Amino acid sequence: MLKLADIKKTYKIGPTEMEVLKGVNLEIAQGELLSIMGQSGCGKSTLMNIIGLLDKPTSGSYFIEGREVSYTDDDALSDIRNRKVGFVFQQYNLLPKLTALDNVGRPLIYRGEDEDSIKQKAIEFLTKVDMHERARHRPSELSGGQQQRVAIARALVGKPAIILADEPTGALDTRVGQEIMNLFKRLNQEEGITVVIITHDLNIAKQCERFVIMKDGVLLDK
Amino acid sequence: MTLKSHIKAAARSLYAAKQRTILALIGITIGIGSVIAMVSIGTIVSEEALKQFKEMGTDILTVRKDYRFEGGDFQKADVPIQLNDALNIPAYCPAVLAVAPYVKVEAEISYTGKKISGSSALGVTQSFSNLNKFGIESGRFISDLDKYGHFCVIGNSIYQKMKELGASSIIGAKIKLGESIFTIAGVLKKTSGGGLMRQFEPNESAYIHITTVMRLKGNAEISTITAQTKPDSSPRSAQKQIKEYFKKTKTPNVRVVTAEELIENMQKQMRLFTLLLGAIGSISLIVGGVGIMNIMLVSVSERRKEIGISRALGARRKDIQSEFLFESVILSLVGGAIGIVIGVLLSFIVSYFSKWEFMVSYMAIFLGVFVSSAVGIFFGFYPARQASMLDPIVALRSE
Repeated sequence: MLKLADIKKTYKIGPTEMEVLKGVNLEIAQGELLSIMGQSGCGKSTLMNIIGLLDKPTSGSYFIEGREVSYTDDDALSDIRNRKVGFVFQQYNLLPKLTALDNVGRPLIYRGEDEDSIKQKAIEFLTKVDMHERARHRPSELSGGQQQRVAIARALVGKPAIILADEPTGALDTRVGQEIMNLFKRLNQEEGITVVIITHDLNIAKQCERFVIMKDGVLLDK
Repeated sequence: MTLKSHIKAAARSLYAAKQRTILALIGITIGIGSVIAMVSIGTIVSEEALKQFKEMGTDILTVRKDYRFEGGDFQKADVPIQLNDALNIPAYCPAVLAVAPYVKVEAEISYTGKKISGSSALGVTQSFSNLNKFGIESGRFISDLDKYGHFCVIGNSIYQKMKELGASSIIGAKIKLGESIFTIAGVLKKTSGGGLMRQFEPNESAYIHITTVMRLKGNAEISTITAQTKPDSSPRSAQKQIKEYFKKTKTPNVRVVTAEELIENMQKQMRLFTLLLGAIGSISLIVGGVGIMNIMLVSVSERRKEIGISRALGARRKDIQSEFLFESVILSLVGGAIGIVIGVLLSFIVSYFSKWEFMVSYMAIFLGVFVSSAVGIFFGFYPARQASMLDPIVALRSE
């Protein structure tokens, strides 16, 4: 469903060029639970930004559902990001002024959906992550684990092709982190949602049905 | 993003930064308020000046000696208008119904030995009252039977001052005008003046027959002749006839101005005046606009993370740009609305204390709404564009 073919990314810092991704090949099938593991500085974040369409590769091809997406214009990229990718960040990244409900509904606002249907869907997905009772709370009134659940609901609400989680348990203690991991596993098994988890934690990586290791800008399949 | 969600998001952000919002509002309110106040006051003043013309009618012309020496013949141009030439205008110009020449004299007026300050004397004919639409409070106006006689009619302010000095019966009372004694024959009603048509102070003047002035003061000159057009003739033809007529007299160069021309001239000046006032007000509007821009720029740099998150969730550049643009437009429209109220209120206070007739200038309100939204778009565009051009990765990483 997702296919990266020989993706290279080079940054220019002054006169010197730094190749962060040196030809990444990766295929992710529908319904997979995959983790990408690696030390910091190995190019994980760059790869995630490219998969999440926040960044463009220097060369190579990237297909989502058979469609080449890596070189489309900014507006089209925003639209694909909105419809096909759901982000979960290490620091949750909820909008502090909005309630949990409004945070979850946010991606749908950019699709121009009407308020009632947005609200209905937001409640539906808050219920899926067991946060419907906190729908009216703002992020500052929620614990880290609760915020991450809301963030997961936000990533799911637009029915994306893939959930992209960048160190989703990095800011949580082991117990709460495991709860979040269990939630991902449950969503993957029960709803068939494709999840990619980027982590440096081997314990997290091992819980996924498939995990790849990134080293010096290339992927080593295990 | 729908319009409703845009407005909602903008209102929410403005509400979250209350203090900053209020400060920006104050700036734009003062800006719009001063433009509205200035333009309104300008309009009120012009209308006030125009009122006089409407009162006197548009069939009035003024004739004066032309001080522009065409042909360079200084001596010839310096001959004053002769009284007989002035009085003969209706006989030679068929379009003219009546004329009223007058002479201004600087003379001290005193009653029972006490000076009445700020007054002057005017040498007039019987027709003067009619042409200037004077009303008589008591007694009568100067008549042509008063030729060389020592009778005078006083303006309303002189009358009031004499009463303050203890005069009980005014008609028949004697006042001293320069070196001569005059008997009061009548009192005028309060009359507005000081404009372009009545170029004298009608309430502060004592009116005596023009022949009396000519005899007492040898060097007195006819300053202006007021002429009235016949109802079936046009002021333009009267103007032409008067000009032709004076070519045969000792004063061949005269300026004849119709009321229409005067009004046109005055309106031109008033427009300029209003424009000037508006320009002065605009300076504070620009300052207010820069205030909005400043606050929007701060808001953009403070919300970089939020912009990054929104972009990751699928917001297009356009969405981010319009979100910020909506904020600045809402800010300036609300400021504009308050400014309009303050501006109108201010012009009401000014016209109340100046005793002008207050009116709301709809042009000014339209201008206020238009200008404030323009200010919002203009000064909000740059910050909004900066926000939309942020790299989502960099924005996400910022704190």
